[in-house]
Amino acid sequence: MPHEALLPVAITNYISLSLVIFAIGVAGVVLRRNPLIMLMSIELTWNAANLLFLAFARAWMNNAGHIFAFLVITVAAAEAAIGLAIVVVVFRAREHVDVDEVALLKG
Amino acid sequence: MGVPGQYPILFVVWLLPLAGAVLCWAFGPRLKRSAGVLGSAAVGASFIAALVAWGLGTQASGSQTGAQQPLFSWLQGFDFGLLLDPLSLIWVFIIVGVGFLIHVYSVGYMWNDAAIARFFAYMNFFVFAMLTLVLSDNFAGLLIGWGLVGLASYFLIGFWFFKPSAVAAARKAFVMNVVGDVGIMFAIFIMIAKAGSVRFADVFANPHALDPWLFWTCVFLFIGAVAKSAQLPLHSWLPDAMEGPTPVSALIHAATMVTAGVYLVARCAPLWTASHDAQTLVGSVGCLTALAGALLGVAQWDIKRILAYSTMSQIGYMIMGVGVGSFSAGVAHFFTHAFFKACLFLGAGIVIHELADEQDIRRMGGMRKRAPVAFWAMGAAVLAIIGFPGFSGYFSKDQVIYGALEHGYVWMWAVALLTAAITAYYMLRLFIVTFWGDYRGEMNPAELGIEGTSSPSAEPDAHHDRAPAWIMAVPVAILGFFAFAAGYVMIGPASPWARFFERSFPRQMLPPATPSEGVTTILAVLMLLVGAAVALRRYATREALANAPARLKRESETLPAILVRLYYWDDLIDVLFVQPSQKLGRFFGQWVDPHFVDGVVREIVLTNRFLGTLVRSFQTGLLRAYALIVVFGAACFAVYYAVEGVLR
Repeated sequence: MPHEALLPVAITNYISLSLVIFAIGVAGVVLRRNPLIMLMSIELTWNAANLLFLAFARAWMNNAGHIFAFLVITVAAAEAAIGLAIVVVVFRAREHVDVDEVALLKG
Repeated sequence: MGVPGQYPILFVVWLLPLAGAVLCWAFGPRLKRSAGVLGSAAVGASFIAALVAWGLGTQASGSQTGAQQPLFSWLQGFDFGLLLDPLSLIWVFIIVGVGFLIHVYSVGYMWNDAAIARFFAYMNFFVFAMLTLVLSDNFAGLLIGWGLVGLASYFLIGFWFFKPSAVAAARKAFVMNVVGDVGIMFAIFIMIAKAGSVRFADVFANPHALDPWLFWTCVFLFIGAVAKSAQLPLHSWLPDAMEGPTPVSALIHAATMVTAGVYLVARCAPLWTASHDAQTLVGSVGCLTALAGALLGVAQWDIKRILAYSTMSQIGYMIMGVGVGSFSAGVAHFFTHAFFKACLFLGAGIVIHELADEQDIRRMGGMRKRAPVAFWAMGAAVLAIIGFPGFSGYFSKDQVIYGALEHGYVWMWAVALLTAAITAYYMLRLFIVTFWGDYRGEMNPAELGIEGTSSPSAEPDAHHDRAPAWIMAVPVAILGFFAFAAGYVMIGPASPWARFFERSFPRQMLPPATPSEGVTTILAVLMLLVGAAVALRRYATREALANAPARLKRESETLPAILVRLYYWDDLIDVLFVQPSQKLGRFFGQWVDPHFVDGVVREIVLTNRFLGTLVRSFQTGLLRAYALIVVFGAACFAVYYAVEGVLR
């Protein structure tokens, strides 16, 4: 059983919030064409996942969730750095950034 | 067979030529002419080592003679080793001794050839291969050497690979030799099945262990000998092999490799002695080859082809000798033949060199003045090959002819005597037409009955860079001396030759034959005199020499077609084997290959292309489409777990 007492709010609320944030992130990735916005949306999905990690870690009294959150933050930082670098390079070459136009790598 | 032990000197004899070949190959472009010195030195050093090893080859201990050096064990029952006994010793002695002289001669002969290093690499490789053949102490090792000498022969016949005729001759020789290799392989199979070993010592210890396949073992071994030694019916590669450089003809296609068949029969003396039918077969083939080769020699004009047919004929004598059971006589003829035939080829090489590669004797004449060393040396060699009393061939050929009678083969004895007369005729014809009379090279070839070419012989460029004359003259002179003298070791029943081989061959007690050896000798000399008289009358009278061109033209036109066309043998082989093979090749090339072999490959390509097209359609290049696919996949997982949760 989850340690409900340790949570000020019921766990279902955390899950719902996380799902909402994740859905917003996914929608941003799929619907927007500006790569900067897409990167920000991806960050949102990371954070949705992090929120769940922390909530469950607290609920189950298991610190593994905290550790995973740190890992996710690290990977997210690396991903942001690489993603921004790509965006900058594409921007230099094209003057105008639209991911639908960057479609040369196809079979 | 051979006292087992460690004999490092055998490795020196055996491997020095290989080292020479490797060095000539590796450093050829830098060595240029000094490759000749290196190659000759390797064989010369091997010769000195062979002299040092002489005592090992003749040492005797109990029933063992010679030296046996174990090498390594391949499979159980397949122990490789080296064996030096009197028989292999005599072959080693000829291979590296005569081989050394021919190497030295080649330095002069190949002086202006750009590929001289490659030539000496091949020559040294040949010597190594031949030593492998004769030094091996088992049939498997012998077969390896057997194949390697065939390969070396192929390389050297086709040495001038820009000549299509040389390439064709090399291929012909190789294919015909492979027929023989397969024969020996079959014999080895029988030995493994019946005797359980391929070592000479084991197989010969009890020849009847091979029964009822003993006769067929002999036949299969003899197929190998027939192919390698140019016996009927696999003889026709040898004359074509004359496309190679002349020293090659002297070393490989006269003195050593083609006598490997004689070596094989002599080595397997215990098997032959145990199978009388096999002896009759081998003797008959040798005898008929001697006659057939001599007859073909009569109708040839190319100096090297005449010598090639005489080689075929003389090896026929040797095979007949070892075949009927007088092994030491056959080997004796090998020994003297190596000297006089090498001398004949090298002398012919001097003449050919002098006349800028002219080989037709009708366009020679008067070479006595232009090539005196060749004249004297070849004179001695011709007297030796026709068996003139006092010259080496007289002693050995006499033994062979008498051997046939001694073992009860009267018809072979008669045919051999007849062949002696023909030999005297065509060898003197060659000698007189080449060396006597006046030089005919400036004449129009049509006046000499030569069809095809129309230009007079090219004269060698006087300013051409030529080797010092002694490089070629000295080996020829030495060989000429031995062509005269080599027979004196084999006079009488207690001669050094007889004592050398007294422990090598099975001893058969035979009653003295009638007519006796003395009568045979007298008959042989008479036959030789008859043949010589005909040749002298036709070519050497004052009248014949004065009218030489007209007479040669008439002879060219009247030679019997069956001899000029070589009994139509090549035509028959062409129809029976060559053309069907070519048709088969075309069938595979034009039908099986495009439709079957290529077809399979093409099907694989088409299948892969189809699969590729299928998978490629997902790769749109649109980042958001990929993202949607990821989301779709994630959604699938979510739905799966949701449904699973509900059902549980």
